[in-house]
Amino acid sequence: MSVIVTEQLTRRYGSRRGIERVSLNVPEGVLFGFLGPNGSGKTTTIRVLMGFLRPTTGTARIHGLDCWKESHRIKSEVGYLPGDLRLYPGASGNDLLRIFGTIRGRDLRAAGTDLAEQFILDLSVSVRKMSRGMRQKLGLILALAHRPRLLILDEPTASLDPLMQDILIRHLRELAAAGHTVFFSSHSLSEVERLCDRVAIVREGRLVADETLAGMREKAKRLITIKWQQGVDLSAIRVPNFLEIHERDGRTWCGSLHGTAGQLIEWLHAKPVADLVLGRPDLDSLFRRYYEHGATEP
Amino acid sequence: MIRGLLLKSFLESWVTTVLLACALMGIEAILAYALPTFLQQFSPQLLQLEFFRSIIQALLGTDVGDMLSPDALHAIAWAHPVVLAILWAHAIVFFTRLPAGEIDRGTIDVFLGLPVSRWRAYACDLAVFLTSGLVVISLGLLGCFLGGLAVGPENRPRPQHILLVVVNLYCLYLAVGGLSALVSSLSENRGRAVALVVGMLVASFLLNFLAQLWPPAARVAFLSLMNYHQPLLVLREAGSGIWPLADMTVLTLTAAFTWTAGGVCFARRDICTC
Repeated sequence: MSVIVTEQLTRRYGSRRGIERVSLNVPEGVLFGFLGPNGSGKTTTIRVLMGFLRPTTGTARIHGLDCWKESHRIKSEVGYLPGDLRLYPGASGNDLLRIFGTIRGRDLRAAGTDLAEQFILDLSVSVRKMSRGMRQKLGLILALAHRPRLLILDEPTASLDPLMQDILIRHLRELAAAGHTVFFSSHSLSEVERLCDRVAIVREGRLVADETLAGMREKAKRLITIKWQQGVDLSAIRVPNFLEIHERDGRTWCGSLHGTAGQLIEWLHAKPVADLVLGRPDLDSLFRRYYEHGATEP
Repeated sequence: MIRGLLLKSFLESWVTTVLLACALMGIEAILAYALPTFLQQFSPQLLQLEFFRSIIQALLGTDVGDMLSPDALHAIAWAHPVVLAILWAHAIVFFTRLPAGEIDRGTIDVFLGLPVSRWRAYACDLAVFLTSGLVVISLGLLGCFLGGLAVGPENRPRPQHILLVVVNLYCLYLAVGGLSALVSSLSENRGRAVALVVGMLVASFLLNFLAQLWPPAARVAFLSLMNYHQPLLVLREAGSGIWPLADMTVLTLTAAFTWTAGGVCFARRDICTC
């Protein structure tokens, strides 16, 4: 079952581009990473999903409900963390949990206190006296406390130290394992690689990729180093088209593998190889190529 | 959910409400005591001065004659610029919180991330506004009677007459609130929203003031909200049991129209905090 479905979703700000014909389908229970460089349209997409912006054309639905017309109904099952989080300066974490709990019609204090212990946050401190990182933790607690079926997080690890990032990632994994869906935007490639099941990449307002991380890994090239045995006539070795050699330093060749490991082993098996180093799929450069190229395939 | 919205609205506004209510009570008490004590005995001399007479006429919307009657003094107490400024301040501060203030501060993202419809949030704000307005004006009324205790019985306000003035003033307060809500709904910056409403109210006050002194302004005086708050006329007619129903209707309809228009704008607008 799909939790988020957008069809040809377009949002323009007058003559300025927002997003163009974005079609997304986020299934239930996945950790969905929404990637793109700054200004690519990630936040615009999230704001349309949250019912803050009306789509220019196209549709956006969450749990089958229209994100603009039935926004308030959708949000009872949604936890949201804005990218540029601002909280009520005079209120403490406890105050916010009490008020938000009253509005949501359930007591969030016990769950909030539990999360605050995990995130190491004192809920009695007023927002005014909190550092940026503390406010981010409080925002996450407020988004997570009611255990929503869908979490929409706009760059959630911003301002969090690595330890807290680990705690958050562990928590999000637990939620996904329990069938909850997590949709989060990021421009941190490593974060997405650590966390996501599925990734969509948006660039200049358009969706340029939407597939599983496993599929991305298959597409990504792998860095390879081949060391040939002594006395081999290297000029006689013909490089196959699934291999690209960037550097030849005597008997050591460095390059990238565009095919599978099986193809490489088959090609090498009768050759005088002294050593072989095959790196992990280089998702970083794959993402970068998506970011930098206009085409839908890098 | 509604309880939560009311609680949020109350928590955000109660300090302002208490401060302004106390200020209004103090001002009304001072005016109710000071005007009969000091102004009345000098009023025949003062009213000989054309400038002073014009000011009083402009303030009360009608000529007071050669002597300031107790009614005229009570009318001054409820048309005094400081009194109006306190009430306007409350209405403006209250209604520019949502949405202009929340958008300006960026907190609306978190607020509208909750399962609340914009109309419901807006309506809950109105409920708290109506109640806190009653508190502010009631304390003003209390101050008026407390101040009146210090003067002779002939100068004390007659409760049933003053009540009419106060009800009319409450209608004016609602109209200012509705106007603030409309401007707030169209704005993304609270400072600009406040400045715009204050500008409109000052223009309205000046137009009503000028209308008493300059005939061309009198022709467009109906555009001024202050044209519908004339406490001296209300007090004069109160003796005959006449209510200022026309003025109250105009003010209430203005409040209803502007508030509803504000709600429609808020419900349909895009929320951009970046």
